[in-house]
Amino acid sequence: MTTTLELTNISKQFPGVKALDDVHFEMNAGEVHALLGENGAGKSTLIKIISGVHKPDRGTIRMSGQPVQFNNPREAQAKGIATIYQELSLYPELTVAENIFMGHAPRRKIGPLSIMDWRTAFERARELLASLNIYDLDVRRKVGSLTVGNRQRVEIAKALSINAQVLIMDEPTAALTEADVLRLFEIVRLLKQRGVGIIYISHRLQEVFELADRATVLRDGQYVGTKLVKDTSEDELISMMVGRTIDNLFPKLDTTIGNPVLEVRNLWNKPLCRDVSFQVRAGEIVGLAGLVGSGRSELAQTIFGFTPAQSGEIILNGKPIRVRTPGDAIRLGIAYVPEDRGTQGLVKQMNIRENASLAVLRSISRASFIKRAEERNLAKRAIEQLSIRAYSTEQVVNKLSGGNQQKVVVSKWLASKPKVLIMDEPTRGVDVGAKAEIHRLISELASQGLAILMISSELPEVLGMSDRILVMREGRVVAEFDRKDANQQNVVSAMIRESSAPNGTTAPEGVLQ
Amino acid sequence: MTSSTLQQSDEMKSGVRLRAFLLRQEVVLFLMMMIAIFILTLGSDKFLTLDNLLNQGRFLTEIALVALPMTFIIITGGIDLSVGSIMGLCAIVLGYMWNPTGPFQWPLELAVAFSLLVGVLCGLVNGLIIVRIGVPPLITTLATLALYRGLAEGISQARSVRNYPEYFYELGQGTLLGVPTQLWMVLVFVIITAIILSRTIFGRSLYAIGNNELGARFSGIPVGLYTIMIYAFSGLMSGIAAWVFVSRVTTTRSDMGTGLELDAIAAVVLGGTSIFGGSGSIVGTVIGLVLIQLLKNGLALSGVTTDGTIVVIGTVLILAILINNYIQRRASAVE
Amino acid sequence: MTATAARSHIHRDNLLTRSLSFLSSQEVILFFVLVGLIVLVGTSNPRYVAERNFINILNGNAYIAVAAIGMSMVIISRNIDISVGSLIGVLGTLSGSLAINGYPIWMSWVVPVLAGALVGAVIGFLVAYLRIPSIVVTLGLLSILKGGLITITGGAWITDLPKDYFLAQIKTPPVSLLGLNLPEIPSPIVFMIVLTILAALWMRYSMTGRAIYAVGGNAEAARLSGISEKRIIMTVFIINGLTVGIAAVLWATQLSIIQSTVPAGLELQVITSAVVGGVSILGGIGTTVGAMLAAILLSAINSALVFIDVSPYWFRAVVGVLILFTVLVDLLRRQRSRASARG
Repeated sequence: MTTTLELTNISKQFPGVKALDDVHFEMNAGEVHALLGENGAGKSTLIKIISGVHKPDRGTIRMSGQPVQFNNPREAQAKGIATIYQELSLYPELTVAENIFMGHAPRRKIGPLSIMDWRTAFERARELLASLNIYDLDVRRKVGSLTVGNRQRVEIAKALSINAQVLIMDEPTAALTEADVLRLFEIVRLLKQRGVGIIYISHRLQEVFELADRATVLRDGQYVGTKLVKDTSEDELISMMVGRTIDNLFPKLDTTIGNPVLEVRNLWNKPLCRDVSFQVRAGEIVGLAGLVGSGRSELAQTIFGFTPAQSGEIILNGKPIRVRTPGDAIRLGIAYVPEDRGTQGLVKQMNIRENASLAVLRSISRASFIKRAEERNLAKRAIEQLSIRAYSTEQVVNKLSGGNQQKVVVSKWLASKPKVLIMDEPTRGVDVGAKAEIHRLISELASQGLAILMISSELPEVLGMSDRILVMREGRVVAEFDRKDANQQNVVSAMIRESSAPNGTTAPEGVLQ
Repeated sequence: MTSSTLQQSDEMKSGVRLRAFLLRQEVVLFLMMMIAIFILTLGSDKFLTLDNLLNQGRFLTEIALVALPMTFIIITGGIDLSVGSIMGLCAIVLGYMWNPTGPFQWPLELAVAFSLLVGVLCGLVNGLIIVRIGVPPLITTLATLALYRGLAEGISQARSVRNYPEYFYELGQGTLLGVPTQLWMVLVFVIITAIILSRTIFGRSLYAIGNNELGARFSGIPVGLYTIMIYAFSGLMSGIAAWVFVSRVTTTRSDMGTGLELDAIAAVVLGGTSIFGGSGSIVGTVIGLVLIQLLKNGLALSGVTTDGTIVVIGTVLILAILINNYIQRRASAVE
Repeated sequence: MTATAARSHIHRDNLLTRSLSFLSSQEVILFFVLVGLIVLVGTSNPRYVAERNFINILNGNAYIAVAAIGMSMVIISRNIDISVGSLIGVLGTLSGSLAINGYPIWMSWVVPVLAGALVGAVIGFLVAYLRIPSIVVTLGLLSILKGGLITITGGAWITDLPKDYFLAQIKTPPVSLLGLNLPEIPSPIVFMIVLTILAALWMRYSMTGRAIYAVGGNAEAARLSGISEKRIIMTVFIINGLTVGIAAVLWATQLSIIQSTVPAGLELQVITSAVVGGVSILGGIGTTVGAMLAAILLSAINSALVFIDVSPYWFRAVVGVLILFTVLVDLLRRQRSRASARG
């Protein structure tokens, strides 16, 4: 087999974070190579380097033995590297055919004019799709009217239309229905036969075992190793991914757990919150584990009133409450540190003072006038309490590092003096040092009697911090573990085990046989 | 942090602050205004007199009244093109309801109050369409621009109403303590809106909405309610502008306020409020308003025709944005 | 090749799905609304559908439809131009001045169009390269043009125009076809139809035309596909200047006098035509055919008010309701298509 792509000694530094440190990666023609690692392990940075979005600080990239350098995504594309992003980059109002050929559509001449040749475009788009065994997609349809699965097929066809040798698929199954997943697998196998190398990123390990030839594992921006999939096991891969990072966590403080503070009964908010019941007690940290798309954030946002519940009960300190807006939730003492701090947690153009006070303006104002001194003190206290590294309360949060930005978000919600704190991916995109500080903070808050619900995709975090762990899948809480009973194996298996699906659809595992 | 770095950062802080202050659009604009005043004073000795300046205040009143809520709206990332039409409709409603030979013959005070109510309703309709139905502000207010003007034309059938009682003209033509009456009104509204924007929860929320609407929602800010409120406020102010205008020009016509929206937006944008939302201030808008009015007047006194001054204003608008873009880019490059 | 074998069972949406999606396009809906209006008003007052009135309806907004071609492209590229009304006034006056000052007639027709393109290039440069939002640029330009025009001309009327100046009053010769006497068609209608079709073809078949949709629909993805956003925006504004120039000449040559001021609210009529014609203010969607149909519809409504004895002063209120209604229908349709895409 020939090596199409080879990366050696790749390092990349971002302000405050070493994203990649001396990483290796190689792939052969016709290989499916899985790229594994937890969130923040450096997978996205690596694929952004391969696809020309970022330039590495050090290291070399070779294609078919020749050193190459990509200054932008166009140059990478020209060398046959295509990327299918999680957020699809299509034009919803243009036809399937045009989306496939955007930028290199077939043309024809009428006298001196060179015009778009629609007939050839449709024809070739149809052939391209047919070569992927896709026959049920009209190339004249507008992409906006297609299902997610079909859009992804268009993306794949688009990649092939530039004769991609390397195809990067970032979490391709995250948003797909099971039927679509099966079709995607067929397409991947087809491409493999044709000699296309595929870099496959997925959190679902069984997909890796089903599709991939090799797997490379990254952890904290470092290269851990590459394994032949047929010679390895799920356990081995998990332990490579997780490593000893559990030791990097701040040791959880012992707390006395009190009465139930938040109780949720039969909460419904379709499609991703189905009949959920649980409780969180004072001083308790409840970890909420699950795959991306399992409904964890949706559950949190339902409790927080961002997407009000359709039915069910939310009980706070023994009293049933109605939460119709985030404003209600804040007044009642429920705080939510959202998943995406850039778009949900912060107003990045505003400074630390304004962000820290944004959710609690009412409590630091008189007759709706903001008391400036109190606001400044609030921000100063936040900077001290969470040791936010900033030169003043007036610093715009945009200019802070990821970890410090996250601390600002946390401080904003602590200022609301909540009884229940829901944290959605509290340490995502945060460097190791800040991570430990945030863990210490969470632990201290719990020991002061706060009830904490912590959503996290990082298993060591969930296992290390939680008193109790709930696992969600397809909008339901499917398992509950006590701290002492929980381990990586049983939590992961609850997350990814395909139960006998209620509507009778076949699970991807079925394909294995 | 060691004490030496702390000290260093304190020094940095004051340096940064000074530069940040100098680079604010309000300050840049204020300097531009001073230069303009200086040049215009050379052009005519009648320009820099108290009488002249106060008198100019009369002419900027209607635009000013509308530009204040427009600042709120543009800060949230919206726009209101219908203000001129609301003003026209309110003026017509005022005259129609009062008209002693018309069908209603209401007392003048009641007619004024009713016209203000109509203004609020018009703004409310804008806000509701934008928030509840989700039509972009530009389209919504483009439609209601036509709709409200159409209603004004339809109700009035192009007939004007005149001969208001003498006391009614006091607001638009009289003076109070030597200052044109309506200028007091503008002053009060400027102070109120400036305080609301810079000191209150509401004002802070507007900036948050303009910068990151989703983030604002997650912070518990009632985005929809606030949005509806500012459009309703814009309607109210357009109604008040209509009242002042009718009182000043002593007649009611359905084409009143045509193009007012563009003058107001120009003043707001010139005053440093980003058309994309998220930043801006009332002080900036006031400087923008004054700069425009002074340019108009100063140039007129220097022998340039009124229409010639419009050219200058358009040019100043584009240049001001260009200069500001350049300064802001340099500023962020330095950091 | 297997593809050939496969082609026989390649899926295409069936006739029903396709015709449904065709029928629910904005252009077709507009067409039926237009026909419906004509039938409805025509039955209550037959003079409404008389040949002459029919031609008047088409002719009345023809220059607006021409300007709406460029406006559609501008809006599809996610920009806006609120200076077109002023520009029509300026270029129309320019045209008339050339004519009465002894320049050849053809120059008084061509120079304004070129001048329009030049102004468009300036706007495009400011928007694309100096990054000033188009609404601000054209707001400033609006003042400059409006003020400049009156300053220079003093608002004087241009009269005594040469006899062969009136381009918009030229009609096609009467033709007999298959025993039918086709009416004489005024040139603005010809301009409107020919230019709209040319533009529609260009938007559909040229690389640049497609790139306009790409830039307006998803600028980020367009950059990744190697499309130069700056060049596209530049092109769009130059074309807009050209169509505004043609519209200005048609506007100037329709009457025997030109009042050298800016016709009020013209930019809103142009924008309204584009929006009612299905061009999305959020960019990426719309066609020039829709904009033309909308311009005709507006003209038909205006005329209908007269025939059903409603004061024409209500016209603008009707237009406002029409815009709101169109946008509502569009929103509902999009929600439905999103829902079906999910399911």
